[in-house]
Parts: sequence; C-alpha cells; structure tokens
Amino acid sequence: MVAGAKNLAVVFFVGLVAAACTRQVSPSAPDNPELPLRIPHGFPALNEAVSNNKPTRHGVALGEKLFHEQKLSGNNTVSCASCHNRSKAFADDQVQAIGIYGRVGLRNTPPIQNLAFMRFYNWDGSMLQLEKQPLVPIITHEEMDSSVLEVIAKLREDRAYPALFGKAFGDEEITPERIFRSLAQYQYTLVSANSKYDRVKRSERETFTDSEERGYVVFRAKCETCHASELFTDQRFRNVGFPMNPSSQEAGRARVTGAVEDYMSFRVPSLRNVAYTAPYGSFGQFPTLRAVLDYLDAGVPHADNLDPILRENGNRIPLSEQEKDDLISFLETLSDPEFADRE
Amino acid sequence: MTACSKSDDPAANNITLRFNNTFKDTPIILGGPNDADATVHTSAAGQTHRFSELKYVISNIRLVKADGSEVGYQTDNLDLGATVVNQAKPQTLEYVLQAIPSGEYRQIKFGLGVRSALNILDEAKFPKFYAEAGANDTEMMWEWGIGYRFVKIEGFYDVDHKKLSVHTGSTVEGEKGDHKSYTQGVDAYRDITLALPRTAVVGERAPRITIRADFDKLLSGRANTIDLDGDIATPSVHTALNMMLFVDNLGGDGLNDKAGMFSIESVTD
Repeated sequence: MVAGAKNLAVVFFVGLVAAACTRQVSPSAPDNPELPLRIPHGFPALNEAVSNNKPTRHGVALGEKLFHEQKLSGNNTVSCASCHNRSKAFADDQVQAIGIYGRVGLRNTPPIQNLAFMRFYNWDGSMLQLEKQPLVPIITHEEMDSSVLEVIAKLREDRAYPALFGKAFGDEEITPERIFRSLAQYQYTLVSANSKYDRVKRSERETFTDSEERGYVVFRAKCETCHASELFTDQRFRNVGFPMNPSSQEAGRARVTGAVEDYMSFRVPSLRNVAYTAPYGSFGQFPTLRAVLDYLDAGVPHADNLDPILRENGNRIPLSEQEKDDLISFLETLSDPEFADRE
Repeated sequence: MTACSKSDDPAANNITLRFNNTFKDTPIILGGPNDADATVHTSAAGQTHRFSELKYVISNIRLVKADGSEVGYQTDNLDLGATVVNQAKPQTLEYVLQAIPSGEYRQIKFGLGVRSALNILDEAKFPKFYAEAGANDTEMMWEWGIGYRFVKIEGFYDVDHKKLSVHTGSTVEGEKGDHKSYTQGVDAYRDITLALPRTAVVGERAPRITIRADFDKLLSGRANTIDLDGDIATPSVHTALNMMLFVDNLGGDGLNDKAGMFSIESVTD
C-alpha cells in the first residue's frame, strides 16, 4: 500500500514536470512573457476563455498587427480597424458598418473595450468566446468577404508574418487558430478604466462639476439598473422599444435563441466611452445621446416583451430637459481619452 | 455466373442515393412567378406556393444491418461524407457512397444538416465541402453563426406571388439537453432514420436507394400546420426565430418523428 502510494506520488510529480515543460515551450516562452491583465477596481471576473488564451507579449503584438491588416479582406482594402477605429473606442461613426466595396452591414459597429470581462459578444450575444468571433467578419459578404485559407496564403507570402507567428507561438506555422487567438489576445488588452469618472471614484483629486454630479444622481436613479456595474452594462438582453431594423436578418437576441420573448432584444450596451460612439442603437437609429434620451422620455411603443422596467413606468423614462443636460455631462465623464488615443 | 458462392463476391461495392424532391407525388420543377412549368402546390392552410430555389445538406450517413450494427460512411469527414442537394443541379441529386462493405442493409440513417461538432465552418479541415457550401450559386453558410445553412428555400406564395424564404441552421452552443455544456441557441440538425422497404444487398451488385423528400411537409408537416401570414410564422425566416417550426416539419422532431419529409421510394439492385 505504501509503495503504491509512493508510485502514485511519483507519477503525479512526473506529470507536473511534464505539464510545466509543455507550458514553457509555447505560447509563453522566456522571450515571450505573459502580459498580466490588470483588473480595474470593481470590474467583474475575466471571461473563462481568457485563461485558455492568456495574452503574451508577442501574441498581442501579432494580434495588433493583424487587427490593422487589410489582407484579411478579399481585395486587401478592409481591416478590423477600418470599422473598429481606436479614436471612437474601436467603433465608428457609421449608422451601419461599411465593409468591402462599400457594402452595408446589418448592424452598428460595436465598440471594442473591456471585452475580457464580457460574457457575451455582439449585440445579440451570438458569441461566447472572443476567439470564435474573428472568422465572422473575415467570411461575411458585407464585411471582408474572404476566407481563412485565402488570408493564410497571403500572410505566408508576407515577409514579416512567418517570423511573428514564430515569436508568438513557437514555430512559424500560420493556422486559423493562431490568427484567432492572437487577435483575441490583443483585444483582451484593450481595457478602458481611466476616465474622469474612474479618477473621481479613485479620489485622485478630481471632482465632478455640479452638472456632472447632478447627472450622476439621475443616472443612479434612472439608468443604473440596466447599465450596471463598472462595465456600465448588466450584460442582459432587453427590448427597450427602439425603432426596429426592417431587415429579415434581424431578430435581436431571438436570432440566436429562437425565442419569441427575445425578439428585438439586444445586449445592454456599456456606456464607457459612449460620447465617442455615436450614432446609437443596433443599427444607428439615433444620431446623438440627446436623441436617445428624448426618445426614451417621449415613450416607446408597446411590445409584448418590452422590458418590464419600462412597462412599469408607462413605457418611458421620464427626464426633464435639465436632467438630460446633466445626464449627458455625466456620460461624458465616462470617456477615456488615453484609451481612445485622443490625448 | 450468379453470386452462388460468397467468395466470388467483392468485399465492397457502391450504393447510390437518389434524392427525389417532390410536392407529395409530383417531382418539383423550380421556377419564378412567370414560369408556367414551375410546380405549384397548395398547403393544408390553403396557400399556393412554388420554389425558385431548393437546397439542403445531407451528412452523417449510416447504413444499418439486420442485426442492428451500423456502417458509417465518412461520418466525421464533411469533404468525403456530406453533400449539398441542390434541385437546380441535377448531378447533386445523386450521391454515391463508395466502397460500402458487402452485406445486407435494412435501414438508412442520415442527418439533415450538420451535427454541432462539425458545424463550425472549418475551411482548413474540410476545404471541399466549405467551397461547395460557400459557392456563390449555393450560399449554404450562416456566416454570423459560424455554421452551415441546413436548408435554403426561396420561392413565392399566394396568388400575388409574395416572397417565401426559409433558411435553417444551428445556433446551439454546447450540447442541447446536457446541462453542463449547453449555454444557448437552437439545434436545427435532425437525424433521420428510414427503414428500407426491401433489403439493400451490397456485394456483386451496387444497389440504388431513392429517397423522397416531400416538401409538402414544409407548410403541412406532422409537427406544424403553417399559415405563412399567421401568428406563429413569417414567410421570411433567416434567423432562429420561428425557424424550428420548419425544422421540425422537414426533419421531424427527433423524438416521435425521425423521418420528417423523408421516405424511401425504392431500393433497386
């Protein structure tokens, strides 16, 4: 019995060593250290997928280069950054996304920020892991209209890429999985948590103006239930009665779930950097924040699955003009100029 | 010389599957509103309709012997074991299963669509099927869901020729019914089981199995009677919403109905 236990211990120890060795080879070799993700105060836990694809120095560098790479598109004109523009918190100012040959997509470009902390991606939550997402724009007719093998063939011919894949993953092979993983690693590092709001919260000798302070009070009273947590979204899907996208491709969350009660429900958007991401709504229905607030104040049309909070309040969020002014002042404190490279 | 002695039989031979797409007993002829040749059908709800486009994916093909043992045909390989049946391309209406082990087969099983594990648009792994499904004249991909379209029907209904457009596909994450892995979405894959009216004997001969896909079931299925202007359905189905009504009609509900629109017309030597 004792001998048996000893053998078990040996097996266990050897197993540990083997695991440690494997880990050293790739992806985080000594010259490719892991980049620890700083979790801002009050943020929720990381998406579980991050632990299986931890950002490394060269993985992130490769991802950032690929993010700006037009060869991802069929005619080498569109990169991720074409729509996901850093100065707009990685969104753009189009009503609906514009892709290859000026083709118009179904929805408004979502900002890319704090994705490492999100449990759902896209307005309908169709993706649960960021690594699965990059294939969608690469192959979609209205976005990049290419294929992953077409992309790989171009990257192989490029002078820089094989070596960059080598640095990031241990050898120079270019695979779909490596493209997706490096793109996700880069996006995991895009954390926005240094807005005026954050600095006021951290008491860094900054204070809200009177209008911002009043706006914060309105926000807590009338917005915070849905735009909850330090991400400013509860990550739930709600139908708030916005004007509907007439495309038969659109059903909101129901596109994924098939459930009638999810029809035209969308993921509550984060409000971080919201002043940078106009227009608003799933297909850009509102040109300004003011227009959103005016709409919600005026009252939204009835729907069977209209969000219960709206229903309980007569299908509206009543706001005085002063409250709207103040709310917009507050929302502007959620802008992070350093993140958006606007400083 | 006839096949008296087993040793003379080859170890394997082909089976040809023929897909006959019909409205009840009438083979479908595709066509637009002005095509006099197009087959026009009337649903149980009284709506006339015709198709201008009709495609579906068959995969995961298995043959079952009398003792219940199954012979799978490239079930994990979409390049070698899956096909897009396209009514507009006659050559796709026949699918040859190559080198099926000699034996007597009593049932055929296959999937309408692609089961979740393989339904990820893996071009690197299955470039042939990916290209076939993604071709401009095929369009059997749901890019946003990273999966294949399982059925694509375009057509017209009622006297004023309103547009009819039904696309099906899966959005499921994890295994439906398994609480540990299932997270969200619907599974539109349907596993079909059909008993053969006559044993298919593979050996010296290469049998031919004609499978009828009766698209009368689209609107007038065992599961649902669909009124295209009614409360439960819309004539344009491009998302998971309302889709399962059509899925269950075409492929059965997977519980009591494992045939859906499919039946065996004939087995010939």
